[in-house]
Amino acid sequence: MNKETAKNVAVYIGQRVSLTAIALVVLSFMTFTLGQLVPGDAAVVAAGPNAGNERIAELRVEMGLDLPIHKQYGIYLSKLSRGDLGKSWFTHQPIWEDIKDRLPASAELVFLAMLLNVLISIPLGVLAATRFDSKIDGAIRLMVMAGAGIPIFWLGLILQHYVAGEAGWFPIAGRISFEYRDFSGSTGFLLIDTALQGEWQIFWDVLNHLFLPAITLATLFIAVVTRTTRSTVLRTLQEDYVTLARSKGISEYQVVVRHALRNALIPTITIFGMQIGWMLSTTILVEEIFSRPGIGKYAVKAITQSDIHGVVGVVLVMGVIFLITNLIVDIVHLFLNPRHRESVQGQ
Amino acid sequence: MKFLRYMGSPLEIAAVGFAALMVLLAIIGPIIAPHDPYEVDFFNRFLPPSTEYFFGTDATGRDVFSRVLYGARLTLASALVVIVIVALIGIIIGVVSALSGGLVDDVLMRFTDIWLAFPPLVLAMGFAAAFGAGINAAILALIITWWPGYARLTRALIVETKDKDFIVAAKAMGIGKIRTIIFHLIPNSLDVLFVQLTLDVAAVILVISGLSFIGVGAQIPLAEWGAMIADGRSAMSRAWWVVFFPGLAILLTAVSFNLVGDILRRELDPALRRREF
Repeated sequence: MNKETAKNVAVYIGQRVSLTAIALVVLSFMTFTLGQLVPGDAAVVAAGPNAGNERIAELRVEMGLDLPIHKQYGIYLSKLSRGDLGKSWFTHQPIWEDIKDRLPASAELVFLAMLLNVLISIPLGVLAATRFDSKIDGAIRLMVMAGAGIPIFWLGLILQHYVAGEAGWFPIAGRISFEYRDFSGSTGFLLIDTALQGEWQIFWDVLNHLFLPAITLATLFIAVVTRTTRSTVLRTLQEDYVTLARSKGISEYQVVVRHALRNALIPTITIFGMQIGWMLSTTILVEEIFSRPGIGKYAVKAITQSDIHGVVGVVLVMGVIFLITNLIVDIVHLFLNPRHRESVQGQ
Repeated sequence: MKFLRYMGSPLEIAAVGFAALMVLLAIIGPIIAPHDPYEVDFFNRFLPPSTEYFFGTDATGRDVFSRVLYGARLTLASALVVIVIVALIGIIIGVVSALSGGLVDDVLMRFTDIWLAFPPLVLAMGFAAAFGAGINAAILALIITWWPGYARLTRALIVETKDKDFIVAAKAMGIGKIRTIIFHLIPNSLDVLFVQLTLDVAAVILVISGLSFIGVGAQIPLAEWGAMIADGRSAMSRAWWVVFFPGLAILLTAVSFNLVGDILRRELDPALRRREF
């Protein structure tokens, strides 16, 4: 990296970090506003149906509702910094505790979905590119089209009903079988805990519970990455260095794997990174179907219970994770991809 | 048929046909629907598909076929409202940003970037829930979350065209600024925007039905595809058709609009026409 590039990269990273910081502030302002949008007087709702006017007035002061809006926002921010997202109406727990307890289940699901995504989409994309315009290519393109247009909650219901229910190949719902319900571990990640304790039977059980939700969650992402891999490999196969490698008499397999694929994969890796946050947010469409106790299911439950603060808590946590992972991915991309590094411009 | 020449495979022809059919059904569906989509008939619950009820009946004896037809109007109209408004907002911001330059441009684009940085599905869920859940809440929530892409795209397109010869010529001929923008600048960016609009129809349909499915969009018993799936899911072992047909409608509509978008992109972009990927 020459000096000029190093400076550009530093400026770029600085810009990216400050943009993320501003975005976090905007996000907090948005979630604050969302909490305010609830119809009706919050104090009246909190006081319950039998409260007198005095109690309501008391609560209004207690909840800070008599303060001007910017002060209320200030209080909201200081609460946020202490991890206080309010209390849930239906679990009667602090919302942050609820979310924290449920994050591992969602993270596990996202992890397996990402694994399936990598294992399926890259080979498919490469296969389609190397057999360009063949029947295989056509079939893969058809799958990509269907994957990009399928409503995944519908796919989830169908897989659950036929593959798990009627065929009985996988458990229908939940995170772990009833007979292992007493299992507990230190990390909260069942895959890690079972592996650490050498409980391979339970590990297998957990993995089985994960499979259908993971493939449901991964579908759209597999479609996207397969299409991108296909086109990037196609493009790199036309680059001069690939032609050179071919002309040196290297086998086609070596050309594809050692030369084309390695360079084609850099943009793909970045896409995987960007998809982590997307996948986490898409769990709201999947987890509830399979009764997986993650934050996506928590959000849907909060919706059905009209618990706006529960919903907003999930919006905030998912938003923060989304922003931070994308920032990290963007910076990592700079170091993975020399061409991208050369092209960034610090302004 | 001149336009048939532009289409490659039979699949593409089918996609264009299906997308056109869906638009047609959205217009005339309620007229040709054989039954009232909200008519409850407890003597005819969970009837399998038949010549009387093409897609069977649901838990309260409503005709699923008629409901899917009504759903076409509701779904496509919602998607259209979202996309038209979002495109207008995006075009205005994009044009202002590109033509002002300087500080205005910077502020508007940073704002857009920040908005683009949020996960749209989650944000839409939050807004729709806060607005009190319902199809209108979902539409409004989507408008709030979906505009930044168009602002960015429009700005890029305008920056690219604003120094082209024909714009300079228009200026030289003494054509007013607003006139130049409306009659010369924007029309020359519309083709790319139009491709994006078509592709977004599919994306918006998927998100709206998803929001309805989780309960912040259209509410049961409204004849909206996502809500119909949510309504039928508890009885899937008894009546698969209640869930199956609305989902199939979403799938086919989304796929065909995506394909139409791809065809438009290929035909409107000469660079892409030469490179087949």
